[in-house]
Amino acid sequence: MNKILLILKREYSTRVKKKSFLLTTLLFPVLYMALIFGTTYLGSSKQKLNVAILDESGYFTDSLLQSTNIIDSSILFSSVADTSIQSNYRKSGYDGYIIIPELNWQTGRENIKFITNKTHGTGTERIIERKLNIIWSEMVNEKLGIDIEKKTVLTQSSISIKEENQENLKADSGVSTAIGYGSGFLIYFILLIYGSQVMMGVMEEKTNRIAEVVISSVKPFQLMLGKIVGISLVALTQFLIWVACIFLIYNVGKLMGSDSAMVGSVVKGMQNSFESVNLPLVLGCFAFYFMGGFFFYSSLYAAIGSAINEDVREAQSLSFPITLLIIFAIFMMTIAIQDPSGPVAVWGSIIPFTSPIVMMARLPFGVPGTVPVWQLVLSMALLIIGFLCTTWLAAKIYRTGILMYGKKPSWKEMLKWALRK
Amino acid sequence: MNILEVHDLKKYFATQKAVDGISMNIEQGSIFGLLGPNGAGKTTLLRMITGIFYQDSGEIIFNGKKFNPEKDVEHIGYMPEERGLYKKMNIGEQAVYLARLKGLSKTDANSKIKAWFEKLEMESWWNKKVEDLSKGMSQKLQFVTTVLHNPKLIILDEPFSGLDPVNANLIKDEIFNLAKNGATVIFSTHRMEQVEEICKHIVLVNKGQKILDGKLADIKNDFKENIYSMQADNIPDQVFSTLFEVVKQTPDKLFIKLNENVKPNEVLQHFINEKTSIHAFNEVLPSLNEIFIKLVDGTAASRQFQKK
Repeated sequence: MNKILLILKREYSTRVKKKSFLLTTLLFPVLYMALIFGTTYLGSSKQKLNVAILDESGYFTDSLLQSTNIIDSSILFSSVADTSIQSNYRKSGYDGYIIIPELNWQTGRENIKFITNKTHGTGTERIIERKLNIIWSEMVNEKLGIDIEKKTVLTQSSISIKEENQENLKADSGVSTAIGYGSGFLIYFILLIYGSQVMMGVMEEKTNRIAEVVISSVKPFQLMLGKIVGISLVALTQFLIWVACIFLIYNVGKLMGSDSAMVGSVVKGMQNSFESVNLPLVLGCFAFYFMGGFFFYSSLYAAIGSAINEDVREAQSLSFPITLLIIFAIFMMTIAIQDPSGPVAVWGSIIPFTSPIVMMARLPFGVPGTVPVWQLVLSMALLIIGFLCTTWLAAKIYRTGILMYGKKPSWKEMLKWALRK
Repeated sequence: MNILEVHDLKKYFATQKAVDGISMNIEQGSIFGLLGPNGAGKTTLLRMITGIFYQDSGEIIFNGKKFNPEKDVEHIGYMPEERGLYKKMNIGEQAVYLARLKGLSKTDANSKIKAWFEKLEMESWWNKKVEDLSKGMSQKLQFVTTVLHNPKLIILDEPFSGLDPVNANLIKDEIFNLAKNGATVIFSTHRMEQVEEICKHIVLVNKGQKILDGKLADIKNDFKENIYSMQADNIPDQVFSTLFEVVKQTPDKLFIKLNENVKPNEVLQHFINEKTSIHAFNEVLPSLNEIFIKLVDGTAASRQFQKK
């Protein structure tokens, strides 16, 4: 026990003391934010398109087209009369043109062509459609004798649905989705990044040949466990630093919140999510699934690290199936978050291969409402049994692999090592 | 008293019998040579003695009791053939870490390392990293980390490979010192000539089996073939005598094999009568290399040694 502690301490302190640890701890949230805001920004700042409209129906007059440009300026319509536009639209500064043929106002027309020289996608098609349909429905309404009053009734009279969970009145599915996604992805990143760190660490010990020196003092199992627990604590430290940062920002923001509208809205959003989700439960479960999932997968990574030699390509090809499982879990999570009570979500959150990620995505929707207590207990119990099993199997592979040099073992051979007495 | 007794130890791998029924006794305070060609099973045998492998059958008695890997490894220092240290770790911290894994306390480890570093002129290394050291330097460091915790049994697998003569002698002196202070040293190698300088007692293994066991001097006596070399000025081109046969002749040196029941003095008398002026006359004992080749003659292992 004492020796595991020594190993753990070494693994922890050498990693935390590295400059790269500080750097990734600081940079990861920055990059993460940059990624989210960057894509939103790029998505919103679309290039404007100039579209020429050659109207043969007589319904789309220049003044009407101009009025739609005021409503939505991402695509600008201009009315043209000259048919030569078909050949020289690009020279005239248009990105494309539409020839609107003679139309029957009662039926309209499908698939009027928007002629361009490059594809702009369905998003652009929808905007053009919407803008033209503003003019079109106005005209249709008029023909049918529907005045503004009737029109308001037509467009605004409808029924909307909002789910209310009896077990958890505060549940806000929007916030839950966000928190679910956030924690699911965080576990995913941690499994991948720190899992491969375990693998590289084991590989390093093997190729450095320090492994034989160390296991003449301690049991291979102690060395493996010390490494896994040490690295998991590094990941936990990193996570706690992030949580501390969020609380710090939150509290600082609350103090000066009233002054700035933006900071105020961020703080309010955070406050909302803190209130609508059972925070201690989610944090507690996060810690559990994070550690459980980490032990489950990193022991497998350790086994692979012990089996290979210096070649990084070998490491990649052998660890691929395990990485695939983690990616599969993230795929299941996206389904589970759409339907947190559906069969995919339930089974995905119980089976230990995917439960750390999928269960974390479901939990913010509420316990015991969305996630019955028995499911949570079963999932936790299976995860504990699961990581005990993988650690046990991995330890056997590790014990043989760490002193084996030369040819890369196949999966079959590794299985043989694992099942041998 | 025997620090280590090994009885009929076996370890079979899927493809080969790595250790196939080896027994041996190692006396406390001796320097013991474990010899054999590459692949003879030396490393596997040592790994069982250090608790890295568990034997298929047989028994290991350490210090009078059944070997208990978990507790007894603290009294064993093992330097494997393939050296290994953490490349990016501070040397001082690394030495402390390895010593503490052997059960030393932090302060104890610190003071012992300081003493050893001083002795081997390594004080300036404390804050360096292993990757900054040359191969010979890291070898020295590895040796220090092996013997740091005052083990009762020190196992050195090819300790001199890659060392220059100066550093090799330094380590050799330390090995003698450790043995003088009561430690037992097992010295494993396939370089027979190194063993002749250091070891009193040897065991020779080949293909997982012990083929020779005994005191070095006794073994040499057992295998001597009554061959003598004589250096003289005027050796005739053709030497004939009923006393001996000529094995090899060079202009100023003669190798002869004495016939049965012939005493060296009779041979000397013969040459004196012939008026040969003799400079030197001595018995030629076989080298371990020769003994080994003789024992495993014709096998692949012996060919490996004949080439040298």
